[in-house]
Amino acid sequence: MAAKGTPRKAVGGTRGARGVDPIQAEVMARYLLATSEEMAATLMRTAFSPNIKERGDCSTAIFDRHGEITALAHRIPMHLGSMVGAVAEILKRYGPGEIRPGDMFMANDPYNGGGTHLPDINLIAPVFADRKIVAFVANIAHHADVGGMVPGSEAAVCTSIFQEGIRIPPVRIMIEGEINRDVLDLVLLNSRTPEERIGDLQAQFAANVVGTRSVKALFKRYGVANTESTIAAYMNFTERRFAAAIKRLPPGVYVAEDCIDGDTEGTFAKIRVKLTVGNDKLEFDFTGTDKQIKSSRNIPSRAVLATIYTVAQSLLDPGVPANAGYYRTIEAKGPSGTVVDPVAPAAIGCRSVSCAVLGDVVAAALTQALPEKALAGSGPHHLFIFSGTDPRSGAYFVDYETMAGGMGARANRDGMDAVRVHASGASNLPIEALEHTYPLRIERYALWPDSAGGGKYRGGMGVVRDYRMLANDIVVSLSSERQHVAAAGIAGGNDGARGQFIFNPGQPDERRLPSAAADIALPRGSVLRICTPAGGGYGSAAERDAGAIERDIREKRTT
Amino acid sequence: MKKIWIGIDTGGTFTDLVLCELGSGQYICHKLPTTTGDPAKAVLDGIAEILDLAQLPRDQVAFLVLGTTLGTNAVLEGKCARTGMITTSGFGDILELARQRRPHNFNLDILKPVPPALRDCRMEVAGRIANDGTEVTPLAEADVRQAVQALRAKNVEAVAICMMHSYANPAHERRTAELVRELWPDAYMCASSEVLPEFREFERFATTVVNASLMPVMDRYLESFERGVADLGIRIAPRVMQSNGGAVTPSAVRRVPVNTFFSGPAGGVVGCMGLGAEVGIANQITFDMGGTSTDVCLIRDGEPAKKSLREMAGFPVRTRTIDIHTIGAGGGSIAWVDAGGLLKVGPMSAGAYPGPAAYGRGGTRPTVTDANVVLGRLNPRALLGGRMTMHADRAKEVIEDELMPRLRVDLVRAAAGVIEIINVNMMGAVRVISIEQGVDARDFTLVAFGGAGPLHAADIARNMGIRKVLVPPRPGLLSALGLLHADVRGDFSLTRLVRAVPQRIGALNAGFDELRQRGAGWLLGEAGKNARAKFTWLIDLRYFGQNAELSLDLKDGRLAARSLASLVERYHVRHLANYGYDMRSQPVEIVNLRLMVTVERPSPPPERRRFAPGTTRSAILEKRKVWFPETGFVVTPVYDRDLLPCDARITGPAIVEQMDTTTVVPPHARLHNDKLGYLHIAVKALRVKGWA
Repeated sequence: MAAKGTPRKAVGGTRGARGVDPIQAEVMARYLLATSEEMAATLMRTAFSPNIKERGDCSTAIFDRHGEITALAHRIPMHLGSMVGAVAEILKRYGPGEIRPGDMFMANDPYNGGGTHLPDINLIAPVFADRKIVAFVANIAHHADVGGMVPGSEAAVCTSIFQEGIRIPPVRIMIEGEINRDVLDLVLLNSRTPEERIGDLQAQFAANVVGTRSVKALFKRYGVANTESTIAAYMNFTERRFAAAIKRLPPGVYVAEDCIDGDTEGTFAKIRVKLTVGNDKLEFDFTGTDKQIKSSRNIPSRAVLATIYTVAQSLLDPGVPANAGYYRTIEAKGPSGTVVDPVAPAAIGCRSVSCAVLGDVVAAALTQALPEKALAGSGPHHLFIFSGTDPRSGAYFVDYETMAGGMGARANRDGMDAVRVHASGASNLPIEALEHTYPLRIERYALWPDSAGGGKYRGGMGVVRDYRMLANDIVVSLSSERQHVAAAGIAGGNDGARGQFIFNPGQPDERRLPSAAADIALPRGSVLRICTPAGGGYGSAAERDAGAIERDIREKRTT
Repeated sequence: MKKIWIGIDTGGTFTDLVLCELGSGQYICHKLPTTTGDPAKAVLDGIAEILDLAQLPRDQVAFLVLGTTLGTNAVLEGKCARTGMITTSGFGDILELARQRRPHNFNLDILKPVPPALRDCRMEVAGRIANDGTEVTPLAEADVRQAVQALRAKNVEAVAICMMHSYANPAHERRTAELVRELWPDAYMCASSEVLPEFREFERFATTVVNASLMPVMDRYLESFERGVADLGIRIAPRVMQSNGGAVTPSAVRRVPVNTFFSGPAGGVVGCMGLGAEVGIANQITFDMGGTSTDVCLIRDGEPAKKSLREMAGFPVRTRTIDIHTIGAGGGSIAWVDAGGLLKVGPMSAGAYPGPAAYGRGGTRPTVTDANVVLGRLNPRALLGGRMTMHADRAKEVIEDELMPRLRVDLVRAAAGVIEIINVNMMGAVRVISIEQGVDARDFTLVAFGGAGPLHAADIARNMGIRKVLVPPRPGLLSALGLLHADVRGDFSLTRLVRAVPQRIGALNAGFDELRQRGAGWLLGEAGKNARAKFTWLIDLRYFGQNAELSLDLKDGRLAARSLASLVERYHVRHLANYGYDMRSQPVEIVNLRLMVTVERPSPPPERRRFAPGTTRSAILEKRKVWFPETGFVVTPVYDRDLLPCDARITGPAIVEQMDTTTVVPPHARLHNDKLGYLHIAVKALRVKGWA
């Protein structure tokens, strides 16, 4: 310890040894994060559709001028990867002189600078200081319908991205502060619900305006060169932080695999990963994964990244700030043309459901390196879209819904019941709101008893819900995973129950519906039962604590 | 004539009391440790002691208001009553299904909260109401009888009745309540259609069940509080502060204890409203920074922002509350360096014990307070008017040991960094209640109180472009003082999900009548027969298909074709103003009707302030070196606030010390001590717009 009264002189004075002030870096990082939060608040406050406003299916981000993410306010983890590469794609297409203050770019095509499926529309704006681009701000929002063959623009039965909706490469939706009507009208005409789209797009514009103003102020206050170098250093700090977490893992190679459903009922596509831990990096090699399939379960590369980021962050360092710094410690590779890196025009609309299986594969690999944080297989949400005519108003309706499954057990506790897993994070629509808005009545909405995979720690329970049809012409499209391949138990734990779609349960004409289908007619008065898959267990059921067994029986979670 | 008013603020560590004698304008303050085992004890002891201090007869007490954190603590510490639930068949798991989100996207160790009604204490009964209020299936009374029997056998103390669409038609809930009352007269019970007749089942059920689970706890507490007050010889019925900033009788609290969740911080905000009226400042950002947490709130045109949904221990609780934003950071927040090498402050706190290293009680982690000591902003020798010795050497050592080597900067930069980052955290809190709500913070006055507020306020104001800071005379006692400013206030609401068209006027007016009836019944209980009350009407609207509402006010609780048309027009205009667009071709829908009943009370008299006879110069206690970002260490005069003359004007840099806080006046600021003893600090704001 230094003698009293004589402050220790730091190496390199007040700037720190690395030439950058770590305090100023933290202050700027907080400023950028606060700006992205302010953008998100604006977006959610002004959005029109329930999907964005109530379920929070949107995110906001700030990029440096090279297109690296410096701050991200994500509402759902899937968006961790959704904007990666978005700016690079714009810079590839537009020369430096072509981008002007007040411009905004729009993109949704996963193969061309968009997000991870077509309903997610990216809106990106440059930030200028001293007459040059110093940063970009962007936001992404899930639009309930962007055209395509099914209402809601998401169905496992689509076999080409051309069936999934309008494809938008990076185009200018705003030119020097004026909306580009040509593009806007084209997009609106391609949606089944154009009024909603315009309301949501307006909110996205507003969020970027707020972000641009705020980021500009930062650069003005600290000067362009200083701000740029400090932000770059901040990303290095983040990289070092995550590298420190990776360093704690034993170096080695860990292999895991699992299957998503294939093109027809009962066929499968394998996802295989070889994880190499070493040199402060995680390398995920998907060589050995099956070729891309026709159905829209393919997972575009950004969704793969989002899933890896989510699972790695959850198991290694939940508090790490989301920016390109920690992304650098993670690499995903493997041949293209597979279900985890499809090429156009592969359909990808249902990637959020198959990503849950991918998340299990990533977790299974990491679990081998980190057994004390082990996570068993999880039950992904199911996705279903009702459409028809509401007899109360005579209006056409589209009800896009998802319903959670159960999380896998962990090495130290039961899995959570009825939650979104891995990269999925949106919330549900209240039943009282749903019944008010759509001609459907819910007759049962409950935890699904006996669904959890048993074990020393059991998996999370799935959910069961019964819909009664109150209109004549309702059709539903169904998408799911884990109706055929269960969420695996680990260390001796049992698998979780598989999901089901059942028509008219308990009636003479009861029948099991396919795990993926479009346009199934549901006559007035009929019932659709949806049971979502549960999580796998951890450890042998024989080791389960007697009190926990007693509680599960008393509370009728197991019968 | 009765002439004594008493406010009691029960905090986690201390119970603060303020007594005001109306005739003389004399105020007396008292402080004693909170008794956590028997929370009513400190309150009752405190009342007896402050009345002895005042040497006034006890039957002279005319108004006694209690701010309590009992409900909050019971929920946070899991000390609620064992609760049963009777609900619609098929929906027993709503509380656990919640909104299907995991509580944290990445931290898998944060679990869903365990509901106060466990799965085997949630009974389903047949019977269903549709969204339009029509009955789909009649209530199975036999199921209800069985449910009551089963819940008795399970030894629950309270019963929550929660049924689907009961906001649209409460018949099933009412009949169930009758049966419960008949079969089990001494059970605590509430129904969702009474507690919160609004749609969205999870939020309504959660609010109702949490409410039921608090009823027994609150009843026992209020029982001993009321008895104790009467035993002291106080002849009036005491009042309890609610989260909405209004004070009510204990019996109103017994019915809806969830209404008291933010009772404590609400006192501070009401105090600010009171001082705003006194000093003439209608637009404020209240900034209450303590040891472990900080509360901020926006007051516009004299009215605090309100909110209807708050989270409590992971559960959504829908009650009308003052919109106070709390962050877990304060003077005791710990500074640390993360694995990447960045300086972080909080969320861990050194708490009251061992507290900051400078307290010399064994604290080994550097805190915000330690940084303030190292920089000379806090007195390095003693606080609390000399009662608490400070250990500046310990503060310096922990920063040298914990921060310097990891950051590779010198002591001063490390300490200044801690202050800079806690200030950024505080700015984040202010942003949430202002900028994120679309309000420009620069037009507001930052009112600083709590032990640490005045230490940081001027810097925060400067960085956010705010030009005025106000420090009230007793920053540590503002919450207790605020209780004396409380009006009697009740909030009522119900959902009427209908299109805003003339055909629906009948249904809407019936809803208003129902609210009027509820409001009148409440008023009778709270203020007696001939009370003069103000009825304020609000109506929530949205475009059909949207899922969030805007509130508009209505002159009276009655609509006709013309007023409905003008309401819809006002909605379009408001939507355009708030969000930048309107949708005139889209149908407009009405969601909730709201009523606020207020019985205004006279304000307490301003404290008669006796200023010291000397000059500004004679108020200087000492000069010490204080560090500011603009100047580095500079010799700075330290003033004793109690010795400052009326109208004193000081140019920064300066420090003003008083018993319960320290005010920092940076070099860019000027201070004025006004006639009522308020410190006004004029800050030279940074010019860059939007930093906030």
